[in-house]
Amino acid sequence: MIHLAPWFWFAVVTLVSWGIVGLLQKLSTNYISAESSLIWLVVGYLILQPMLYPGRTVFSYSGWNLTWALLSGALNALGALALFAALKSGGKASIVAPLTALYPLVVIVVVPFVLHESITRLQVVGIICTLIAAACLSA
Amino acid sequence: MLSCLIAESQIGPTCKLVRKPIRMALRDTVRARWFWYSILCVFCWAGWALLSKFGSREIPPETMQFLFTIGSVPIAIALLFARRFKLEKSSKGISFAILNGVLSGIGSLALFAAYHTNGNTSVITAASALYPIITVLLAVVILREHFGFIQVIGLGFAAVAIVIFSL
Repeated sequence: MIHLAPWFWFAVVTLVSWGIVGLLQKLSTNYISAESSLIWLVVGYLILQPMLYPGRTVFSYSGWNLTWALLSGALNALGALALFAALKSGGKASIVAPLTALYPLVVIVVVPFVLHESITRLQVVGIICTLIAAACLSA
Repeated sequence: MLSCLIAESQIGPTCKLVRKPIRMALRDTVRARWFWYSILCVFCWAGWALLSKFGSREIPPETMQFLFTIGSVPIAIALLFARRFKLEKSSKGISFAILNGVLSGIGSLALFAAYHTNGNTSVITAASALYPIITVLLAVVILREHFGFIQVIGLGFAAVAIVIFSL
């Protein structure tokens, strides 16, 4: 039986969820503005909040990590706003979504310097395939 | 661009017929507003992915998603003020956007869980970024957008990448 890394199935859930999100982004901006789409998107996030409420344990984490978590939300929202604006200003969903999926390229360049992680040669091939796939899908 | 210059030196000015449309297409793309919005998106999301990894080293995924949402609320509030609380009343648009948020939240939660497993950040980020496969297929089926040979090649590379990441 094939053994899959624990992270793999989580990544598959992300892949499918966000794949549908890419389409919904286009559909929503067909009816409302990019800004309104983002506001309602955050409302969608808030619907999940009661299920995720951590209670007082949230104060047990370090200040820096809490800051990273909060900032990640702000950056993601800014990125989403830029994506909506791209779709609203004439970009096709089938081009803009794959193009913006190239953000891992920046991550891959930065990670060795800030996290000191290394990757295997096979994983490098996989990452190259991912980037080629994203470029082809955006053509 | 380079291959075209090589071809021009070998076969003469006929290459200009090929080069001109490519240059024009590149120029048009770089001038297009949507392209620069997309680049801005790329850098914001790269920052988001890195900060998510930093936070996920200590904080569990559910709490990360909870805090992530709190972090995104100020942007939404700023937008509300910028628009003077005037939002379009399209029930379809609102429904799509809310569903978008719920699905996006589930996707982020899974990504935080993946980061929390101490898997390689570059590989997890790259694997999760293959989501355009789903988007492109859905865009073709539902929105009737064009799907060409290059996109088929892209799907092939994406499939290879998924198989490699699963090993």
